[in-house]
Amino acid sequence: ENSPAPLPERAIYGFALFLGSWFGFMLYLIWAYVPETWLFSLGLTYWPQKYWAVALPTYLLVTIGIGYILLFGINMMSTAPLNSTHTVTDNYAKKQQQKKFQEEAIPALRDIPISEVNRMFFLPEK
Amino acid sequence: SMEERRYRSASGAPIALRRRQHSASCRELAVRCPRLQLRSLSALTSAVWLAAYGLFVLSENSMVLSAAIFITLVGLIVYLHFVKIDQESLLVIGSLGIQVTSSYASGKESTTFIEMGQVKDVVINEAIYMQKVIYYLCILLQDPGDPLGVSEVVPLFQSSKPRLDCLIEVYKSCQEILEQRKTTPQSS
Repeated sequence: ENSPAPLPERAIYGFALFLGSWFGFMLYLIWAYVPETWLFSLGLTYWPQKYWAVALPTYLLVTIGIGYILLFGINMMSTAPLNSTHTVTDNYAKKQQQKKFQEEAIPALRDIPISEVNRMFFLPEK
Repeated sequence: SMEERRYRSASGAPIALRRRQHSASCRELAVRCPRLQLRSLSALTSAVWLAAYGLFVLSENSMVLSAAIFITLVGLIVYLHFVKIDQESLLVIGSLGIQVTSSYASGKESTTFIEMGQVKDVVINEAIYMQKVIYYLCILLQDPGDPLGVSEVVPLFQSSKPRLDCLIEVYKSCQEILEQRKTTPQSS
């Protein structure tokens, strides 16, 4: 149903996007390079200032650069500190149901408490 | 009985673990951090004073030199009293509680006591810390309303940061004392 295979509709969307992006790029170049007097003589008087033809790409690049640092910082801020209970448990583990143990059945999937995990790893079985 | 063994901290610095058994239900575990190195202290002081001298040559203001000396002295005192921890120790007393002590380089000691009724368990937990995953020992405090719940996590040995082999030794020692809680029920 949702396959990534090439379809005729997708070919048309792709070609429309290709033409659209070339048109947009040509429009941007005309806006940036064609002198204002020429544009006025054609009747196009209400186009934005050419200042923005340089300012917008600069804004975009600086935002991308800040975005790298911001993402790094947001990741560090969202990491739980060492003294938080989120390093040990969470809402789903607290509300989990304890299923009864049945003989010869595969035990139900559950979050094993950290005390039990520690005993298994670090205390040698006698 | 007392024994001391050498280990390494998470960053590679040499640390020493000292285990003392005061009685059958009382044990003290102390981790000693490496002392302040004279060469790093001299290197830092020389760098600060040379930079201050360079500023003095440029600005012809002798206040720069006195400010540099003052800042170095005050900075060293503040560092020794508030930042540099010499030894972190854990005293586990079977039916009473757990006492955590941090001794600073200036001699200051800061102590926290957690009574045994509040202690759920002492475990080695793994967590993400500054682009690394580290093992650290922590005390889990009991949630009064929920017998299976954890209300708080108290991390231990935060400045010496021992590696897993040292933590396993401390963990085993603590568990030997904590196991006695189950066999001898408290009358309170």
